[in-house]
Amino acid sequence: MTLSEAVGGPGPPRADRGATLVARDQLSPDAQLLRFESEAPLRVLPGQFTMVRVDGGGLLRRPYSFCDLPDDGAFTLLVKEVGVGTRALMNLPVGGEVSSLGPLGTTFDLPPPDRTPVIVAGGVGIAPFVLFCRRLAESGRRGIVLLGGRRRPDLYLWDTFERFGMDVRVASEDGSAGHHGFVTALLDAALADTVRPVLYSCGPTGMLLKVAELATAAGVPHQVSIERRMGCGMGCCLGCVVWARPPSGGPEEYLRSCTEGPVFDAATIAWDRDPHPL
Amino acid sequence: MSEPGATTVDMGVDVAGLRLPTPLIAASGTFGYGDEYRQVADYDCIGAISVKGLYLEPRAGCPPPRIWETPSGMLNAIGLQEVGIRRFLAEKLPAVRALGKIVIANICGSSLEEYGELSKVLDQAEGVSAIEVNISCPNVAEGGIEFGCDPDMAARATEVVRRGTRLPVIPKLSPSASDMAAVARRVAEAGADAVSLINTIPAMAVDVETRRPRLANVVGGLSGPAVRPIAVRMVWEVARGSRLPVIGMGGIASAEDALEFLLVGAAAVQIGTMNFVDPGVWRRTFDGLAAYCRRHEVAALRDLTGAMRPGTAG
Repeated sequence: MTLSEAVGGPGPPRADRGATLVARDQLSPDAQLLRFESEAPLRVLPGQFTMVRVDGGGLLRRPYSFCDLPDDGAFTLLVKEVGVGTRALMNLPVGGEVSSLGPLGTTFDLPPPDRTPVIVAGGVGIAPFVLFCRRLAESGRRGIVLLGGRRRPDLYLWDTFERFGMDVRVASEDGSAGHHGFVTALLDAALADTVRPVLYSCGPTGMLLKVAELATAAGVPHQVSIERRMGCGMGCCLGCVVWARPPSGGPEEYLRSCTEGPVFDAATIAWDRDPHPL
Repeated sequence: MSEPGATTVDMGVDVAGLRLPTPLIAASGTFGYGDEYRQVADYDCIGAISVKGLYLEPRAGCPPPRIWETPSGMLNAIGLQEVGIRRFLAEKLPAVRALGKIVIANICGSSLEEYGELSKVLDQAEGVSAIEVNISCPNVAEGGIEFGCDPDMAARATEVVRRGTRLPVIPKLSPSASDMAAVARRVAEAGADAVSLINTIPAMAVDVETRRPRLANVVGGLSGPAVRPIAVRMVWEVARGSRLPVIGMGGIASAEDALEFLLVGAAAVQIGTMNFVDPGVWRRTFDGLAAYCRRHEVAALRDLTGAMRPGTAG
């Protein structure tokens, strides 16, 4: 046994695993669902992420939420093209290898049995909620999923959420599907339809901010997943920080979205501190 | 099956009065307070850990964005976000000590007095084996690089740390100094036991679409493989131009990279940015160094320090 095996921390164990791309589903012109198989079974909690290294994808690893764990040893990632890292993944041939460091970060907590989850997700922000809803469905529970995107093709995996038995409501900015406008416009009605809701959100900063405002006004607990540019994912580069109150209390400070996040209690975040975070 | 020459290689090195079991040191600012990588890096290959830079008081650091990737490198302007010396000693040091590694405390002051105070506090601390003196951070308003660029200031910072402690003192030199060997000679006179180099190179990048700088601090420090040839040259100059042992660093990603630094005169090396890319870098580099020694019939790795030959590779 090496020293590094002897000292495990809490949460599912981390490892840097080789993983093979086994299937690619082109969800829209610029987004793909990639299915990987890794050498060892993975234990991942909803909301956790992986740092992926791929040939041609730049020097640093890139963070991706674990989207789903459909089988033992398999995981999916939802990838939208934003730069050299995502492009390399989206061009990786089936059979190609990546290395996946994880699972990393904090988790979305399933709500207590007497509360109903209301999920608000924009674009690729839906990624962590697939595993979340799989876990909900496995315990025979339902929730409301509000999906938003620019156009109908950006409402990724809509059918997957329906298959998990969720009440899916959609909005598109161009009016091509569901409500014509922002997904946050659906939130008041969803909260009115729900007894003792708990909010979960992930997506563009403007959307998260709006959800946080509504949650505060309605007195609803709200967990939010924050994406920041990351260097390491391990809490060491301090590149991915968010100004927020630590979970243990105390004054606001820069917390690492890889370690104290990516999932935060939205009420602890100082949303106006760094207006251009990405 | 035993390979030809598959004898045991002595991988230990001596630097600044420290006996390190391997020549590989985790670079400050890339390895947290030492135990963050415990599940994914092979700590058996790590000779010592230089922890995140410490001041007397906690610091919030720079606003984000703090990092930006560049070709074969990265820019950072973290601004030394850290927990302060007291919380380090109370909460962080016990965890890294439990791993059985040699701990080097990296300190930074905004004044000479602060360097001196930190030195005294660390001298009394149990479990710190050496002090690396950061006189080269490009991302803080005072202290840092302004000490490292001026040989007199570098010597004064070294002297005040020296006076506060019996621990080995290792100033970390700035690549922005016009004559790094001169800085090394001055810190040697001031009582340094070794020098480490290079810290990051001040650099910047601009988003041409928004016409805004990539980093909130505008300027950051460049690290990673992009800086390696510059760092190798600087280690060579300092090793030739001063009598101090040199700890070399700058984009080391493999055994071959580490060997370049050793051959031009480094007694040990630090691995920094590549921790972010590949925590397996420790095992790969260690095994690669041992294999090189066997292949070249070098019984003790320390014999490679300064072993570059005259002439060219052809």
